[in-house]
Amino acid sequence: MVWADWLVSTVSRALAFGVPLLWGTLGEISAERSGVINLGVEGMMILGAFTAFAVAFQTGSPGLGLLAAAGVGGVAALFHAFLSVTLRANQYVSGLALSIFGLGLAGLLGRGWEGKPLAATLPSLALPGLSRIPVVGPMLFQNQTVLTYIGIVLAFLLWLLLFRTRWGVAIRSVGESPATADALGINVTLVRYLCVVFGGLLAGVGGGYLSVAYRPAWTEGMTAGMGWIVIALTIFAAWDPLQAIWGALFFGALYHLSYRLQAFLAPELLKLMPYLFAVVVLALSGFGGARWRRRAPGALGVPYVRGER
Amino acid sequence: MKRILAVVLAVVALGTVAVAATKIKAGFIYVGPIGDYGWTYAHDMARRIVDAKYDWLETVYVESVPEGEVETYIDLLVRQGCNVIFTTSFGFMDGTLAAAQRYPDVIFAHCSGFKRWANMATYMADFYQVYYLNGLMAGALTKTGKIGYVAAFPIPEVKRHINAFTIGVREVNPTAEVHVRWIYEWYNPAAAKEATEALIAEGCDVFAFTEDSPTVVQVAAERGLPSFGHYSPMYVFAPDYVVSGQLVHWEKIYEDFLLKVYNGVYTTRNLAHVDYWWLLAQGAVEVGADFGMVINPKWEPFFKEYVIAHPVFGRISVYDLVYIRLNQMADPGVTFDPFQGPVYDRKGNLRVPEGMWLSYDSLITMEWAAAGIVGPWPGEP
Repeated sequence: MVWADWLVSTVSRALAFGVPLLWGTLGEISAERSGVINLGVEGMMILGAFTAFAVAFQTGSPGLGLLAAAGVGGVAALFHAFLSVTLRANQYVSGLALSIFGLGLAGLLGRGWEGKPLAATLPSLALPGLSRIPVVGPMLFQNQTVLTYIGIVLAFLLWLLLFRTRWGVAIRSVGESPATADALGINVTLVRYLCVVFGGLLAGVGGGYLSVAYRPAWTEGMTAGMGWIVIALTIFAAWDPLQAIWGALFFGALYHLSYRLQAFLAPELLKLMPYLFAVVVLALSGFGGARWRRRAPGALGVPYVRGER
Repeated sequence: MKRILAVVLAVVALGTVAVAATKIKAGFIYVGPIGDYGWTYAHDMARRIVDAKYDWLETVYVESVPEGEVETYIDLLVRQGCNVIFTTSFGFMDGTLAAAQRYPDVIFAHCSGFKRWANMATYMADFYQVYYLNGLMAGALTKTGKIGYVAAFPIPEVKRHINAFTIGVREVNPTAEVHVRWIYEWYNPAAAKEATEALIAEGCDVFAFTEDSPTVVQVAAERGLPSFGHYSPMYVFAPDYVVSGQLVHWEKIYEDFLLKVYNGVYTTRNLAHVDYWWLLAQGAVEVGADFGMVINPKWEPFFKEYVIAHPVFGRISVYDLVYIRLNQMADPGVTFDPFQGPVYDRKGNLRVPEGMWLSYDSLITMEWAAAGIVGPWPGEP
């Protein structure tokens, strides 16, 4: 049953490592579907990670920490929305600024918090009954926190919202052609604000997961580039929340396997694997993917000004 | 009026010269954040201890300095009036040497490197003996016969630690294996976590590591598995599962060095051969889960009851074995070394002949892997 061991540990670790990526990617899909690209994910995630840790440390409640992380992520995204929607600044520049600002601010505020052990961490669940099922139990229902399952449910809900409701039509039309949406009486500014801020909430929680659940401690720069992987995963998932689940799982599995396979392959090479994957995805979507480009929201990255086209 | 001003200035200038001769301002340059609970934290603890002890000493520090930018920060510290500067990462070596040549009136000391100059010494407190003692305990603790080791970079320092640890493991448990995973980072908690998870998935049930965070200890404890702390007291992170560990007392070296500078023994002209290589016997390192706690009391009964047939000591508990070996190495007239021949590498080559010890040069350039190590070993001869 060696293969079963491999399967169990790989899927289980992929879920655990994929959580922050999934939350971040769902958030980015929300923002980009409304036509706003937000490169500030790394900044929102690190601010979320710091906030969750500090609040959980002070209050003893990881749940409160995660709520606060969502709040901070949302506020950070609000800045991006204000700059890119209201002031119509270049979205790429505004997003990059948010990333740099977030990393710097979290590093500054976090000075005194580094290395402190967190007593109140988000507990791992062993779902009653389900966790006893052979193979499937340890694979899916052990050593996961509640955020794993909420994330997956959220992906389904976001998919339903985007593709099966009138609100979804409104969001997608704002992302495809804001002028048309505007003519139909949809409030483009409001939709974009809501989508970007919602994305920030999710990115904040994704960052918070790192500091109160995945490896409970605060470390400067602990998101270590996850925000950028989220951007790649959003493209990889073709702006589809359900595909984001697979993308996050796949990346999580690669990350875990890069240590598991060291017994067989050169560790230097394996260390590159997850990042190589991100580069390959971006390259594919760049030149191979007329198909991919077609699926991107038409007005992605373009500020909307009424009366201009 | 002008004359009065000139006199005042002259007095002030004289005053500063007089003060500079009797006071030392020591600057410390760290590679990581002082809160890393590892390498940099330990150096900063030592700085604070020494600073509090002597009136004539003032210290300043800069943290999280990128290795390529050490010279810029040395310039900064020299401008702030530092006359002794410690740089505490191997990667600071060439930058420190260049600065030592530019500032011949400042004393430099570089940690863990091998390049020296008239005004630049080197120093290191090494853990290999302590890792060996932890290995003795780990050999007794493993039930699966597989011990996990999360390692930062495949460089001689880390390889020496893993080898000494493995030699200890095999002395107690001749069939046990030490499984190694490299994370290629001194400080990356996520990488350390996944590497530990990978080792757990492979059946390892005891953990040791060389990287700069308490991640391995935390992850092992979550699964109820024992581990050994590294660098600072990691007992607080998992009081039930941290069995022992490696602890450092950099203050012993800093105190000795600064006192000798203060007393004029060390000057800016005689440091070219000053190299501290301090071990258990000098008190620069300590074995323990916490300071003064060689073995976590919760685990002491286990080692007292775990009796082995030892080739030298006959029937002996691992508890007694640990203390005998500790005393042999901590005694000023050291009578034992982990790399005491015969030692074979995992390819079967004799690396240390019967009855011999390794020289300092062989220790600091070690690339081979001891018998019992499983896993990749970049640069294996």
